[in-house]
Amino acid sequence: MSQSLRPYLQCVRSSLTAALSLSNFASQASERHNVPEIEAASSPEVILNPLTVSRNENERVYIEPSINSVRISIKIKQADEIEHILVHKFTRFLTQRAESFYILRRKPVKGYDITFLITNFHTEEMLKHKLVDFIIQFMEEVDKEISEMKLFLNARARFVAESFLTPFD
Amino acid sequence: MANINWRTINIDALDPDSPANFDVSSLTPAVAPVSTADVQNNAQQIRQLLRGGDNEGALQGALENPPYGADDKGKETHLATVTEILQSIRQSDMSPMLSRIYKAPGGTEALDVLMKYIYKGMAQAAPASNTRNLTPQATGFSQIHSRGGGEGGGQAMSVLLSWHEKLVEIAGPGSIVRVMSDRRTV
Repeated sequence: MSQSLRPYLQCVRSSLTAALSLSNFASQASERHNVPEIEAASSPEVILNPLTVSRNENERVYIEPSINSVRISIKIKQADEIEHILVHKFTRFLTQRAESFYILRRKPVKGYDITFLITNFHTEEMLKHKLVDFIIQFMEEVDKEISEMKLFLNARARFVAESFLTPFD
Repeated sequence: MANINWRTINIDALDPDSPANFDVSSLTPAVAPVSTADVQNNAQQIRQLLRGGDNEGALQGALENPPYGADDKGKETHLATVTEILQSIRQSDMSPMLSRIYKAPGGTEALDVLMKYIYKGMAQAAPASNTRNLTPQATGFSQIHSRGGGEGGGQAMSVLLSWHEKLVEIAGPGSIVRVMSDRRTV
């Protein structure tokens, strides 16, 4: 792991561990409803101060905690346009299958590439430290995945261009 | 009135008794207003200490009286001061200095304030530039650019990140919780 990645992930890990202290909280606006307060935003007093962890201006994590839910948005590193397209395709692939990921939000928060929404029901039925591990592992893997895809794409493009241009040789 | 879709009106916002209109300011402890000039004077004094080589005194002085009541400009000035102090302290001095501050009276509060500034410092760099650095080719196809691009501001961030790590070791995750739940923002 690179030198600057480790403290970044460590910082995200401790921030998430602190933010994931959730309790059940029924909606105050309508009876017999129980909604993630960070999404509903119907009671300002249960929404806490958001935290930002950034490695540099292109890579950051935004954690929005509330009493019964935490929203975690990740901005994935995009050095050029190809990576921008790859990240877009990759996150779209995941968000279209959001049900199977349980904590994935269907739409990222504005300015970020992918968003997770963890509610108290998730922390009740899943282990908290495993949830944190999952997010950290996702962040580690996604960078690797994108660089790998970029290499494949470049190799493929070169091969296609070569075979396309052979007849004109 | 006819062209307003009344189904989309948030009626909770119009009801003074609804939880949506909870007065958040009632959760904030009273803070004395601080003028920007005072913050700047304070910053001057702290810089004096810093120039004299008294890093720890400067840090303690900066964390003792955070300008909770200042306006945005004053807060930004103080953030710049704190970041400057943090950047001038060497990596090996961080942990001993933090444990000394922690043991001093009012140490936990000081470290909570430091945690607030670390998070604020990291949030500050975030919206600086939204322009992606584009490749020179119109196709956007480039193999020359490695994935190391766009490390701007990475140096300042890595200082804050290593401070954060040391701080969590000493003050514990509770300090992060207090940053989230304290309505007095820096």
